[in-house]
Amino acid sequence: MRAWRPALVLTALSVVLAGCGSADTSGTTTAASGAASAAPAGPWSFTDGSGKVVKADKTPTRIIAHAGEAAALMSFGIKPVGIYADESVKTDANLKDLDLTGIEILGQEWGKIDVEKAAALRPDLIVGDWWPAEKAHSGLEEGVDEKSKKLAELAPVVGVSQGKSIVDLAKGYEDLAKSLGAAVDSPEIAANKKRFEAAVATFKEAVAAKSGLTVAAMSPADDKVYVANPEYAPELLDFQRWGMKVINPDTPDPGFPYWENLSWENADKYQPDLILFDGRSFKPTSNADWGKKQPTWFKIKAAKAGAVVSWPAYWLHTYGHFATELDKLTAAVKAADPNIGD
Amino acid sequence: MKTTTTVAPQVATAGAFRATRRRRTSRSLVVTCSLAVAVCALFVLTMMVGSFQLSAGEVIASVLQLREDPSVDFVVRGLRLPTAASALAVGLALGAAGTIFQQLLRNPLASPDFVGINSGAGLAAITGIVLLQVSGVAVSALALAGAVAAALLMYVLAWRDGVAGYRFILIGIGATLFFDGLIGYMLTRAQLSDARQAMHWLTGSVGQADASELRLLLGALLLLLPTAVLLQRQLRALELGDDTARALGIRTELSRAGLLATAVVLTALAVAVAGPIVFVALVAGPIANRLLGPATGGIIPAALVGAALLLTADLIAVHLLPTALPTGVVTGAVGAPYLLWLLATTNRQGAGG
Amino acid sequence: MSSSNNLARRASALGPGLAVLCVLLALVAFLSVTLGSRSIGLPEVLRALGNLDTDGSINSTVTLELRVPRTLLGILVGAALGVAGAILQGVTRNPLADAGIMGINSGAAVFVVFAVTVLGVRGAGVYVWFAFAGAIAALVLVYAIASLGREGATPIKLALAGVAVTAGLASVTTGIVMTNVETLNELRFWQVGSLAGRYAPVLTGVAPFLIVGLIASLGFGRALNGLALGEDMARGLGQQVTRTRAAAFGVVAVLAGAATAACGPIVFVGLVVPHVARFICGPDYRWILPYSMFLSPIVLLLADVLGRVVVVPDELQVGVVLGVLGAPAFVGIVRYGRLSEV
Repeated sequence: MRAWRPALVLTALSVVLAGCGSADTSGTTTAASGAASAAPAGPWSFTDGSGKVVKADKTPTRIIAHAGEAAALMSFGIKPVGIYADESVKTDANLKDLDLTGIEILGQEWGKIDVEKAAALRPDLIVGDWWPAEKAHSGLEEGVDEKSKKLAELAPVVGVSQGKSIVDLAKGYEDLAKSLGAAVDSPEIAANKKRFEAAVATFKEAVAAKSGLTVAAMSPADDKVYVANPEYAPELLDFQRWGMKVINPDTPDPGFPYWENLSWENADKYQPDLILFDGRSFKPTSNADWGKKQPTWFKIKAAKAGAVVSWPAYWLHTYGHFATELDKLTAAVKAADPNIGD
Repeated sequence: MKTTTTVAPQVATAGAFRATRRRRTSRSLVVTCSLAVAVCALFVLTMMVGSFQLSAGEVIASVLQLREDPSVDFVVRGLRLPTAASALAVGLALGAAGTIFQQLLRNPLASPDFVGINSGAGLAAITGIVLLQVSGVAVSALALAGAVAAALLMYVLAWRDGVAGYRFILIGIGATLFFDGLIGYMLTRAQLSDARQAMHWLTGSVGQADASELRLLLGALLLLLPTAVLLQRQLRALELGDDTARALGIRTELSRAGLLATAVVLTALAVAVAGPIVFVALVAGPIANRLLGPATGGIIPAALVGAALLLTADLIAVHLLPTALPTGVVTGAVGAPYLLWLLATTNRQGAGG
Repeated sequence: MSSSNNLARRASALGPGLAVLCVLLALVAFLSVTLGSRSIGLPEVLRALGNLDTDGSINSTVTLELRVPRTLLGILVGAALGVAGAILQGVTRNPLADAGIMGINSGAAVFVVFAVTVLGVRGAGVYVWFAFAGAIAALVLVYAIASLGREGATPIKLALAGVAVTAGLASVTTGIVMTNVETLNELRFWQVGSLAGRYAPVLTGVAPFLIVGLIASLGFGRALNGLALGEDMARGLGQQVTRTRAAAFGVVAVLAGAATAACGPIVFVGLVVPHVARFICGPDYRWILPYSMFLSPIVLLLADVLGRVVVVPDELQVGVVLGVLGAPAFVGIVRYGRLSEV
């Protein structure tokens, strides 16, 4: 299938590497989709999460993106030519429901990116979140294979900074998509954002209507139960900003401040009115299952009352996903009884 | 009459001995040279295959910088050469270290990956990643320190009027278990991203090395391989030698300790560069001995076998399998059957304990 | 003459010694029911124990449904690990033998990972059977490999086969979990070994195996004494060395397999306690086995109680506590213990 004619690819490669980006579509790979073909000619520039301004003579069209970032771009109609993920694209929360046909998968394991395959795609832009603490883009952090880091030599790398808000992240990728020529205001693409804005409005309303409602984000495990620290969970910070009373645990694990760990004997330490259950392991039957398995899970009154809703933990990148998750949350807030907990 | 009858066979024996030695020398020379050629061929071959194929000529021209072609250079010098060089260097180091351990401890099963050195390096590296949040060269440095510390610990613990092979191995196995337990604990204390980095390191892959680590290992090889060969030669002379040599028992011990230290440093550097890669050190020596026939024990042939094994394993791991696997998994698959065979036959040689 | 007198005197002291251990174990078990990461007053504990029924309060639930099963499991698992270690050390004449060295942990881990990634199962209750099967499969494999060749499963071959199988299985495990972040997360917590979160279902699941195994193990004292003299001597005394060895391995597989299945790999108990027992009893396995059986749960429960009270409201897994406390003991045994006399 991919019987590259070496000469052809090499010529193409040398063109890219020489730095003159004549996007000669020689037909060996599926080109970027319609949205990109409408890309403005350039010059193009974008301010990376690191603060650096990345410039190019021509607007990039052949993009390689990390998992969630690819999902974000695709939601604006920009189809990357290649994707690298930290786990199987069939299980990745952002990618599992997307149609990835025609997109080259360059890696499904953290630290390993097939840079040769990536080079053959002749990318002119690499997109990955910027992690301020690690000062690196997704997939290019310290500790990955030395080879994988060479990805950054194929094309400039840009990304939005991961930090304190999913809204900022989604907005950042909207800006990036727009700069790449996406018609972000076209009705079908803007629909997601509209849906999101509506979801936020109803969410705020629902929360305001239940002013006494407290919630805690929790993740039960076999030998203890974890309570999330909103400080390190951008979506929880967003919820707090919109008026939801998300409990800040008072003694997060000093070595791992993402959570406070509670032994099952102390599972009842917090008594919220609604439990945000770690979405990565949430199934509709989870609450009942844990009640059966852990005698003290139902000592949390909200759990006993079934006031449990999935919490999209640490993965959101797009308005669409966020809107869907918010709507679920709003419904749970409306159904919740603010007098269950303490 | 009497004297002549006794002298004649002596002369004959001496002549035969010299002839045997000549045969051995020439066989070992032939084997070593053919191994070197095979390793070079594999080295070039690993750089030819990939997402797109290159010819041997293109590869060689690019490596030797005979021709300027940016795209070929990017693929060969940028992507494939570091991995291939790392496989070559790590293989050489492990092969040499393995055979030294096996000879000094007089046991075909005494290879550095089984006696706690790999695990010690692993524990130090993981501690660095998880607790100290270090990465890159610092992880390698810690792995190096961990391996050396583990080897010293083992030597001290196993020392009782000399280092006996079995005690050393048993204690090494115990230490391996202990270190592995602590590694498991470290992993639970890690943030998921750190745990991921730690596991990535632990899987062992020749692609991890960065340029400076690689230069260090190559430099060490240039220095340590000849040292090891010289020490071994000296040791043999001392052990085979006459009463005067035997009287110099201390010198024998010193040579043994020096040789062991060389092997430890080689192992430690290899682990630091590529993570724990198992079985190469175990199988390289015996395979080389098989090829060498009567002239067993050569360090250079064993090192070359190690390099050939690792280059092949990497070739299989990265290119021939449907999904890319860590090199360590493939060397494991190659090493396991050999180990079975070794365990099955080792008793007949009276070395199985 | 005097030595046999000594032995007789020793034996007459060992019987009452065992009774003392029994009392100690009861005491530690009582501690384990009354102390924990949740502070519950002694009267309340006693009331709950007296009623044998929860009155719905969390304190009585914690006492009866968390601590009592945990304590019982601790006693059974501790006894199983200690006895399995003692038998293995006797059979292999390797002072450092323990179930972990024989590949049990890595076998169980591979099966757990397989269960999580391929079959999608979750939770300690379900892992048990996969871990059990994996542990037994690994042990059988190790024994089969070591039995190759003329001499059969000699100590050194067992040790090496164990290390080799462990290394091989571990590389498979890491290979799988690298592409699946969730599994990596589950595995790393399973790997430490914990008594927490395992309740009645786990207990009733593994208890029959553990109890049968423990009773069967007591019959091995004489045979192990024979083996300790060396194989030739044992043969000379009319023992079926190969058959004894295989039977002993069968018992170890059941004991250590069930223990590891229930709690994950718990280190050092099986390694260290038999040496303590040997130090007290001398070389007679008819005493070493019951002493290991009572000493090990005492050590395990004490470590567990310690882990519960040091980081309230969190807990330390018992595997971690044992790792920290066991390391010096281990070094002591290796350096100063009478290695050659096992």
